[in-house]
Amino acid sequence: MNFSPVHFIAVPLFAAFLIPIVGRFSKEAVKLIPGLVLLYLSYVAISLYPIALQKPIVEIIAGFKPPFGISLYFGPLAAFLVTMVMLIGLVIWLYSYKFIIREPLEKYYMLFMLVIAGATGIMITGDIFNMFVFLEITSIAAYSLTAFLRDKDGAEAAFKYLLIGSFSSTFYLLAVMLIYANTGTLNIADIAAKMQTVPNQPKIFIMILFLVGFGIESELFPLNGWAPDAYSQAPSPIGGVFGGIVVKASTYAMMRFAFVLFNFHSMFELILVLGVITMLIAEMSAMRQQQIKRMLAFSSIGQMGLIMIAFGVGTDASVRAALFQVFNHAVIKTLLFLAAGYLVFHSGSKKISALDGLGHNKPITSFFFALGALAIIGLPPFSGFWSKLYILTSVAKGGFLASVVLILFSGIIEAIYYLRVVGRLYFKKDVSQDNVRRTPISGLVAMGILAVVILYVGLYPHQIIDLIKPAAHDLVDKAAYIKYGLLH
Amino acid sequence: MISIPVLLLLIFAAGLLAFIAHHTIPVLRDAIVIIAITIAGYIVWQLPGQTSNVNFSIGMFAINWGVTEYSQLFGLLIAVLSFFALIYSSAFMANKERLGYFYMNFMFSIGAMFGIVYSQDLISLFFFWEIMTWSSFMLTIYCCEEAQSVGLKYFIFSAIGAYSILTAIVIIYSGLGSLQLANIFANFGTMSIAAKLAVVILLITGFGVKSAMMPLHVWAPDAYKMSPAPYTAIFSGALSKMGIFGIGLVLFKLAAGQGFYPYVQEILAWIGALTALFSTFYAIFQTDAKKLLAYSSIGQLGYIITGLAIGTPLSITAALFLTIMHGIFKSMLFLSVGAVYYRTGTTNMNEVSGLIRKMPYTFFTALFGIITVAGIPPLGGFAGKWMLYESLIQSNHYFLVIVIFFASTAAFLYLYRFIFSMFLGQEEKETENVKEAPLRMIVPMLILAVSTLVFGVFPGLLLKPISGAMGYLGNFQHAWETSVLFNNWGSEIDLNTIVTSIGGVFIIAWILITVKGYRKNRYVTTKDIHTSGEVPTGNENLTYAIDFYKPFERALGSVLKPSVDKLYNYTGKLLEDSFEHLRYVYTGNGQTYAMYVMGFLLILFLFSELIFGVAL
Amino acid sequence: MDINWLKVLGIIITPIIAFIVGVAYGGIVRNITARVQNRFGPPVVQNFWDIIKLYSKKTTVSHGWMHHLAPVFAITASVTTLYFIPVLRDSKLFANLSFSGDLIFLLYIMVFGSLGMALGVGQSGNPNAAIGVSRGLSMMVGYEIPFVLALVAIMIQFHTTSLNDLLAVQDKFTNWIIFQSPIAFIAAILAFLGMMGYAPFDVVIAPAEIASGPPSEFGGKYLGLMQTSRSIFTFAKLVLFTDIFLGGAGDFGTLIVKTFLLYMIPVLTGIVNPRFRTEQAIRFFWKWPTVFGVIAILAVVMKG
Repeated sequence: MNFSPVHFIAVPLFAAFLIPIVGRFSKEAVKLIPGLVLLYLSYVAISLYPIALQKPIVEIIAGFKPPFGISLYFGPLAAFLVTMVMLIGLVIWLYSYKFIIREPLEKYYMLFMLVIAGATGIMITGDIFNMFVFLEITSIAAYSLTAFLRDKDGAEAAFKYLLIGSFSSTFYLLAVMLIYANTGTLNIADIAAKMQTVPNQPKIFIMILFLVGFGIESELFPLNGWAPDAYSQAPSPIGGVFGGIVVKASTYAMMRFAFVLFNFHSMFELILVLGVITMLIAEMSAMRQQQIKRMLAFSSIGQMGLIMIAFGVGTDASVRAALFQVFNHAVIKTLLFLAAGYLVFHSGSKKISALDGLGHNKPITSFFFALGALAIIGLPPFSGFWSKLYILTSVAKGGFLASVVLILFSGIIEAIYYLRVVGRLYFKKDVSQDNVRRTPISGLVAMGILAVVILYVGLYPHQIIDLIKPAAHDLVDKAAYIKYGLLH
Repeated sequence: MISIPVLLLLIFAAGLLAFIAHHTIPVLRDAIVIIAITIAGYIVWQLPGQTSNVNFSIGMFAINWGVTEYSQLFGLLIAVLSFFALIYSSAFMANKERLGYFYMNFMFSIGAMFGIVYSQDLISLFFFWEIMTWSSFMLTIYCCEEAQSVGLKYFIFSAIGAYSILTAIVIIYSGLGSLQLANIFANFGTMSIAAKLAVVILLITGFGVKSAMMPLHVWAPDAYKMSPAPYTAIFSGALSKMGIFGIGLVLFKLAAGQGFYPYVQEILAWIGALTALFSTFYAIFQTDAKKLLAYSSIGQLGYIITGLAIGTPLSITAALFLTIMHGIFKSMLFLSVGAVYYRTGTTNMNEVSGLIRKMPYTFFTALFGIITVAGIPPLGGFAGKWMLYESLIQSNHYFLVIVIFFASTAAFLYLYRFIFSMFLGQEEKETENVKEAPLRMIVPMLILAVSTLVFGVFPGLLLKPISGAMGYLGNFQHAWETSVLFNNWGSEIDLNTIVTSIGGVFIIAWILITVKGYRKNRYVTTKDIHTSGEVPTGNENLTYAIDFYKPFERALGSVLKPSVDKLYNYTGKLLEDSFEHLRYVYTGNGQTYAMYVMGFLLILFLFSELIFGVAL
Repeated sequence: MDINWLKVLGIIITPIIAFIVGVAYGGIVRNITARVQNRFGPPVVQNFWDIIKLYSKKTTVSHGWMHHLAPVFAITASVTTLYFIPVLRDSKLFANLSFSGDLIFLLYIMVFGSLGMALGVGQSGNPNAAIGVSRGLSMMVGYEIPFVLALVAIMIQFHTTSLNDLLAVQDKFTNWIIFQSPIAFIAAILAFLGMMGYAPFDVVIAPAEIASGPPSEFGGKYLGLMQTSRSIFTFAKLVLFTDIFLGGAGDFGTLIVKTFLLYMIPVLTGIVNPRFRTEQAIRFFWKWPTVFGVIAILAVVMKG
């Protein structure tokens, strides 16, 4: 069978279209379709992976060769990220299978499919305007998912997200227009080739617009006001979707542009500084949160700060470290959100104080949460340890020792607030009354898969590093991107 | 030939198996861990026969495991203490909850310690260091709800320590590009002076946390108190030695020979001495036996740090000798407190008394323990103390020796208090039915106790491996014989003579006093005492335990008032409060967030020249 | 293995001589005290009779095996201490085991007895005894500091930790260490006051307060052995001080004179002084004696 990267966009979009129709006949089918789609796409991603490793797959849509037509660029980086998205998506679907019982189911799965389609679209498209479309698809689906529970808080959070998100779209679109005006093309590789000729002033202007536009979606301080609310009001699996998929897509875009379009030293430094500030403020805020999902949201922002620091160093090694952290964060934070989902569900309250003693009542879910917490703090033998280590060594090698110290400082804060929660789970008197409801098997399996991945990567980190090496190279090597992107 | 990976795999697998066994076939649980540690002991024993290191790589880091004579010294200590502690805990922990959790973390921390000492590169060292941290953290919080905040404090300090080490590692990596110990030791001199100094300070801080060096010690008393007794023995006996292990490497393999080395030595020696002095003072006024021992532990580690910091062959010998001895006697003492706890349910010294006749073997262990701690001949503590003093005097550290001596004299106070309050004094009704601890607890304790006598008479048994370790650390040599110690001024101590004379006089006097009027000896209870004419009634409280050293406290005055612990708590609270204010950056108001976005954009535009070097 | 019979003989008779001298000193001190207080004391040999009487008691009361062993600990410490001190200068017979007479070892073995005593006392369960031990140990921390300061000063001045070497240094009258480092001597002799336990540092036994404290539960053979040990120990300490500061002694006549004069210092101080409370005593030792000790060390360091 001949796979093509187009499937990544076309299949989920088609599924999203199909789901409401099928929903009229069978609720079960609605639940099953996304799973089948994701399973298929994971298979596609994995079978395309070795091909992409040899040479990036450039797919031309509608027959026009680049730079004129829309093209998809499926290189090692895209392969890495897309595979990650598909697998995370699959796990989240498995979890949602029993977790999302509230109507309208069709809408939930439809939006879920749209997010997948949009996010993968961002990651593989080679066209800057096309990317805008995917960005919009992702965003709009994300807004709706935030408000999915249809309560007051959710609506408010969604509105904030929408408000800030529309800034993002506007700036992005403005930047696209300026680029088109200056270079006369929309193909990223082509733009990259022509960018040298663009004078500095508009270039900086475009760069700032991109930076702010993607900065909003990548949760950079001070542009991340929407994030804590959105994370905490959306249904729990969606927290994982945001942290593991949506944010990662826009981070990808930001980095791709940073490396390929601009190569300003000062831009990387700015990203680094913003990363540090983001991380510090987020971790400090997380420490004082009363609600578990808000805490996780801030922690997520903090992790994004960490990733940005690593990208900001801008060396080959630091990009590898950042990608490793992207992967780990996606896995671990998803696990945390999934576990927190059931913890909140069982305790009946979003408050951390309501979690007392749940470790005895719901041992497995609590165990997964604890494992995720230890992993995200960066303790061996879990995966988080290695990526943090890589980040620290690469940051230090880049000469940013102050950042190393600050990363470690925020690591301590992180340890404190996570351990407080874990401590409550296990070492407080059991106050929960929920002895009837059990965590469904699908949820446990979903979390179990993630836990196994965390442990496996922790023990055999080189396996994932072997995949990251070409991916990082793909991101850093501008010449190769232009060469392959323009089909030379 | 069996090598390090097998050892580590064995221990970690045993941990997991014990966890699984606890939930399926509980009977196997204890057997698994004891068999595993026995085999591990054998493997450790034959490790020096291994010549080749184990090399492989994880990602971009090359991992290297190997045996040095220095690591072997610590490896054996870990193996022996763990063996006894595990046998002990098979009785002590019986019928306790969550034993799977307990044994798993127990084995993990043992495995992690082996990993630390046999690591020949910094990555695996740090990796195991962190495993050790969290597994010991898990056991600190194992007991009860009150242990929560204690555990958190331990973890915070451990994290500070671990991250100091990590920072040092990344500095080394960025400077040298290699994390192999051999490379680092060889090329450390080529780094810039600032980097070298930073690395040394950071590493000493990091390792200092685990060895409870003041002012980083505040976690230790509570953490030692909260962890279950068999683990406390390991915690204090072996785990704290990992800090010593690291400090030794830093001092002699990195810092030695650098320009700042003498200053580092001097400062560290004083930190060690003051740690010893102040922790001794704190120990004197504890009411909880385990906390008392914890402070004592901190103090003893202070001596060891001072000994290492002085850096003469004699002082290093003394420090390493004390390291091993401390491992043994502090385990003994914690185990004996554990035995008391096992039978009476408390470690509060004001609550139990007069156990000597009920728990004679436990008393015997505790007695040998305190004599060893006090450094009184003929037990093992003396040789270490003697070498330490001699080395301090002979390396012109006159005031240091005074401080150390002050500390070890004051140590008699808490040692006496410890043994008096629990084992001597009035026999109360509450402890009437107390029995001796079970055999599986007694035997390990007694074996350790006897070993202190053996090492006291034949310190050469330990000095042999120690001189090997010193050879690794930097060609330090100090003469030794099986039972003769030498100082640098040509004096010597012949322990055979000493022991013969003490033993001889002791036995003669013992026989004399026992034989004389043997049949006319009348045993009386502790209520039947001389009270200046007043006859105490049965329920009169004649126990003197509370505020045992009030006069000494008065004499010290306000020396102990300032508390680093309070300072830390205050700082912590201050930080948290500031975080509380800071988090209102996120107002929850969409308009504010929009303003942030616009403001940020504006700033970038306005200051673009400053930031990007191009004006808009 | 050839046995040095001279050494064996020394080992046997040294404690006996020490015992006799010690007890005799005790008797003399009782007389002197009495004279100062304007009364007549008991005969000088009274202390011998006391000890003999104690030994000949038929029954004794014991509180358990630690209590039983306490006097054994005490006598072990005193006799061993004595063994490792050269009693007479250059004498084969009375050199005993003092192969090098290491001072640090002596410091530690001297504590051995007190600790054993304290343990035995503890088992008796008598609160007064425990209070006495608490006071005694606290005070020990007080006087050990100036004592060690003085010893360290001397050790670094003469570059040795061995008592024999110190004796070798003091080959003539003007070379006595009391003259070579007088400040160290002052510190040491002040500490010595505390060590001997006469007033004002007699809070440990304070008969009027805690009914003689530690020894109160011992009777018969136990008390007898303890008195024996105390006498030997007193003599041992006096010889030690003589060896360190007063150039030792070549014959018994000189030894008796020197030790007796030395002994009179705490005794006479004691007679005319009231009692310090524990904390006062500790603070006393941590003030001037310690200052002298520090000065002594500084003086040595300055000199080179």
